Amino acid sequence: MIQIHCPYCGETLPELEFAYAGEAHIVRPESPSEQTDEEWAAFLFLRDNVKGPHFERWRHAHGCGRFFNAVRNTITDRFYITYKAGEPRPDLAKLLEESK
Amino acid sequence: MSKHRLRGRGRVDASQPVVFTFDGKPYTGLKGDTVASALLAHGVHLMGRSFKYHRPRGAIAAGSEEPNALIGTRRGPGRFEPNTRATVQEIWDGLETNSQNKFPSLKWDVGAVNDAAYMLFSAGFYYKTFMWPRSFWDKVYEPFIRAAAGLGVSPSEEDPDTYASRYLYCDLLIVGAGPAGIAAAREAAGKGLSVVLVDENSEMGGTLLSEPQSKIDGKSAWTWLEDELAALKEAGVKLMTRTTAIGYYHENMIGMVEKLTDHLPTLPADTPRERMWRVRAKQVVLAQGALEKPLVFHGNDRPGVMLAGSAQTYLHRYGVKVGESPVVVTSHDSAWYAAFDLQAAGAYVQAIVDTRPQVRQDLQAEARTRGIPVKLGHTVTATGGRLRINTVRVNPLNGTHVGNGQWIKCDALLMSGGWTPSLHLFSHTKGSLIWDDDLTTFLPKDTPEDCIITGASRGLWGVEAALKDGSVRVGEALSKLGVEATVSDYTVADDRVGTGVTMRELPTDRSAGKAKAFVDFQNDVTAKDLRLAVREGMRSIEHVKRYTTNGMATDQGKMSNINGLNIAADALGKKQPQVGLTTFRPPYTPTTFGAFAGYHRGDHFEVVRKTQIDGWAEENAAVFEPVGQWRRARYFPKAGETMDQAVARECAATRASVGIFDASTLGKIEVVGPDAAEFVNRMYTNPFMKLAPGKCRYGLLLGDDGYIRDDGVIARISDERFHVTTTTGGAARVLTMMEDYLQTEWPDLNVWLTSTTEQWSTVAVNGPNAAKLLQPFVKDFALTEDNFPHMSCVEVEVAGYPARLWRVSFTGEIGFEINVPAPYGRALWETLWDAGQAYDITAYGTETMHVLRAEKGYIIVGQDTDGTVTPYDAGMGWAVGTKKADFVGMRGLKRPDLVAKNRKQLVGLVTEDQSCLEEGAQIVLDPNQPIPMKMVGHVTSSYHQGTTDHPIALALVEGGHSKMGETVYIPMPDRTIAAKVTGTVFVDPENARLKI
Amino acid sequence: MSKHISSLAPSVVVDTAAAHVAVTPMTGRISLRARGDLAAIGKAIGVSLPTQIGICAKTDGIEVVCLGPDEWTLLVPLDQIEKVQGALATLAPSLPHSMTEITGREITFQIEGPHAADLMSIGCPRDISTIKVGQARRTLFDGATVVLWRDAETSFRMDVWNSFAPFLASTLETGAKELAAELA
Repeated sequence: MIQIHCPYCGETLPELEFAYAGEAHIVRPESPSEQTDEEWAAFLFLRDNVKGPHFERWRHAHGCGRFFNAVRNTITDRFYITYKAGEPRPDLAKLLEESK
Repeated sequence: MSKHRLRGRGRVDASQPVVFTFDGKPYTGLKGDTVASALLAHGVHLMGRSFKYHRPRGAIAAGSEEPNALIGTRRGPGRFEPNTRATVQEIWDGLETNSQNKFPSLKWDVGAVNDAAYMLFSAGFYYKTFMWPRSFWDKVYEPFIRAAAGLGVSPSEEDPDTYASRYLYCDLLIVGAGPAGIAAAREAAGKGLSVVLVDENSEMGGTLLSEPQSKIDGKSAWTWLEDELAALKEAGVKLMTRTTAIGYYHENMIGMVEKLTDHLPTLPADTPRERMWRVRAKQVVLAQGALEKPLVFHGNDRPGVMLAGSAQTYLHRYGVKVGESPVVVTSHDSAWYAAFDLQAAGAYVQAIVDTRPQVRQDLQAEARTRGIPVKLGHTVTATGGRLRINTVRVNPLNGTHVGNGQWIKCDALLMSGGWTPSLHLFSHTKGSLIWDDDLTTFLPKDTPEDCIITGASRGLWGVEAALKDGSVRVGEALSKLGVEATVSDYTVADDRVGTGVTMRELPTDRSAGKAKAFVDFQNDVTAKDLRLAVREGMRSIEHVKRYTTNGMATDQGKMSNINGLNIAADALGKKQPQVGLTTFRPPYTPTTFGAFAGYHRGDHFEVVRKTQIDGWAEENAAVFEPVGQWRRARYFPKAGETMDQAVARECAATRASVGIFDASTLGKIEVVGPDAAEFVNRMYTNPFMKLAPGKCRYGLLLGDDGYIRDDGVIARISDERFHVTTTTGGAARVLTMMEDYLQTEWPDLNVWLTSTTEQWSTVAVNGPNAAKLLQPFVKDFALTEDNFPHMSCVEVEVAGYPARLWRVSFTGEIGFEINVPAPYGRALWETLWDAGQAYDITAYGTETMHVLRAEKGYIIVGQDTDGTVTPYDAGMGWAVGTKKADFVGMRGLKRPDLVAKNRKQLVGLVTEDQSCLEEGAQIVLDPNQPIPMKMVGHVTSSYHQGTTDHPIALALVEGGHSKMGETVYIPMPDRTIAAKVTGTVFVDPENARLKI
Repeated sequence: MSKHISSLAPSVVVDTAAAHVAVTPMTGRISLRARGDLAAIGKAIGVSLPTQIGICAKTDGIEVVCLGPDEWTLLVPLDQIEKVQGALATLAPSLPHSMTEITGREITFQIEGPHAADLMSIGCPRDISTIKVGQARRTLFDGATVVLWRDAETSFRMDVWNSFAPFLASTLETGAKELAAELA
């Protein structure tokens, strides 16, 4: 069982309180009706299957209830960072450098 | 005093005899004994039969690594456990134990014919033997393998014991309370840290318990141990015995199983048998010690052949001589001390056989002094004796040449192939290992966890080295915890340090093809099997392991992995690190299902949610069913009624007069804020902007892929407040989905969601007399068609309780749902129940609800839909607000596949022969087509207890909406049923019955 | 586990030397969601809203805990619910917020005794010692979402949706007896 830092609660807490919520930074298009079939299919279905640092979403389901973003290494299960929804994607190179 | 027990020796209590049975025969041991030590005290070495060849076996070890001496233990009815290690099970008065894998008796076992036929059972024998003919698999081979496979016998009764679990957070966890672990604990104690020291044995001390001769800082080992543990306890260190760290998981989480009652003669009240500790430690020290390696030679599995270090343990810890005339065979110095100690205890050691041509002079001198014959540069090539060793064949070695053998009589053979660091938990951390050529073993290198490894686990031998290492190495953990690292110095006299060499199989003059030199005792894997596996093409140790099953037994290769690796590497002509080591996986020792289940068994197996009205249902003989986490009343049978009869009665009564139903489990979400209407409008397919307060509307919720996810009635309470209902099972999922869109896509909307599922108890009354029943209880509000039409809602007092009253129907009858604050639900229900007696009110359950709604063609999401059904497929295009700018799923509905022709569509089915279809049955158009037939859909709902004069069914059928009146076929195992495609509404298509 | 639990009928779940567990009488509860001028809201209801998750405040019989960045639960005496609702309603046009009564939604267990914290550790995966006296957290207990209030080192309140109460009562009863057996 891993531990996850909730950026809203400011605490590092057991994984049991959290729920995984898929890849991060996938934005629902502003005007779906203007999307081509290909664009809409990509939005719905196309996801990266990253080996290594992965931008993903979690929800503090049994805590503050917030969705937030994280960068997690899918090999080691280690989190490099978690950050609030809406915040920009952090610089991965810098994160990896800092984690060394 | 039993024959081989030494008075005044060991840590057993001579004043407390304990009587237990083994295979029905009573034995007397002493308090503190294990089953193995007590049996050995009586000279009983034969404790079991091996798995494959049914060879007689005795205890080879003295601890949890034991592969052979597996027994069944029984404590009265129901309390039976197979595969308990006799070397670990403590005895108590009345304990019943039994040997395993034998028929009819341990001493005479017919299965031992496998031993004679061993040529058939070589590596991979399953794959080779059972290949042909193919038709034999089902009838002959599989039953045979199933009957022969497995260790011991599964318990047949429900386990009456209870199990527990607990979370524990600490600063420092030390695994293993031998010298290194205790020394580490000493440095950590008294510094304001929470420190836990854990050991799998019944008492702490590790190797000190087996080496009382050493003197630590001037004190005898056992005095030092007692003082040290008392000091640790005094300093607040949590000391846990009989507790095994079974696995090391991410971020310093360690699973530990504490055995609480297996050693007790009587079971204390309210005490679980075992407790699973889920420990999160900021720092971990692993001090698990080392395990002795067996030597590999023909007949090394005969009862009486034992690890030399284990013989030491039996002697010093239990006061038991494992033999009166033992022979010692070794490639390591440590076994010499076993010979010396046994000789000193009155045994006559027949010989020390060492494979090494040169051995330390002091050891040789001491052997001479003690009168023990020494044979350096010798090998062992065979053992004799049927159920116990009585002779051993010893041959001189001259380089690689094996000279003529000589038989030596003996009653025990004590072997040592050196020691292997115990790296199991370290490996669980994904720690890397490094091969040490001198020690011929893997040593720990790096780990990603906050974890330190110390003592014999990293290849240090001797008490002094372990104490010093524990003291020094824990400093790193202490510094990280922000306290001062200190180091204690230790001086140990009479310390026994030694070295040795690592052998593969011992050299032999016999045919290697006939040697039964065991590597994995429990799985009966021999050196020959390993070499055969390599010859047959296995190159990776992982393949060798799986082909031979070496290391795959319940001892997880504690004894066999390194010997197996050495032999496989030799056969491959490679260095060990190039061949690799198989992965150690949790649990470290076999762990009961009970320990993993903890409290979650029986009626506490999983969360069960109950409504406030559940008690009434229980008192009124409801039959319950699980719906999600809820338990719901399924039907209310009267005396003697079957389910079908009860449901038919409930259906008829509701359509005839009035039925009452607990709808409290429906999910409810309060949507509040200035943008509430905008939010609901975006989430649901239907238009909601113009829904007036006081009105309800059915809502369909799609995913952005266009498929139906959920549905429910949505009431507008006021301009800025909606009361949304969801399906029972969908409540949490829908709220999560809504929060997702709100938090991450539309954070600008001023609207908030609150789960009110449990704020309200919801009582549904349906039937022609529903309004008449309810009206007297509704304060100052007329339940008339004009004042309160279908799909209206009002906040009003009902029976004196503040209520949200809805006029809705899921039955096709006049219907009301009364929401009152949850605690009042039962009182409201009972009030209506009492008043309803005038109308023959009938309580109905979920089954009747399903039938009544199906008669009206109302779908149940998840039953009539399966995640690939659009509103149009379900015939609910009317619910889609096509003029809206957007809603979740709107774009999805235009995807090419979703507008394609011939999609599966929801229709009604009426069978021609009045039979009731099976839900899930497949549908074909032409019953005479060749197999495999083309299936065009399936039955989603089917009932025969309803109020129509024929059974009804709903089904998803390709192009179903254009097949009205056509006949489709449902092939069943015994016949094919023809059914006519109809609309989905079977009762009152004009909705006349909804009118008051 | 066939117990039925109602806040209308406060009762003792279990009483051992390790811990005493009881269902508390019904109290008023309001879920408040808001952003913006929190001071104004605090002023209206008479207790300032803490802004750090897990922090509580208490004034004149109203107790409040911050459970999320825009979420608070107010505990209000039953006879004051309308007053608080009224005060919040006056803010509505200028200060968007959501106020939903959840009085009926929850049951509260009071857990007291020398081993109350240990009892929490049989079902709550959190480090209980990080919940300081006077604070509260939403977390898990034996599979159910709960709000755990720590009133003293050895005293907790656990709010849980009422349907989960029988199941959790069973966990608490088993645990309190187990802990008491350890003392014996």
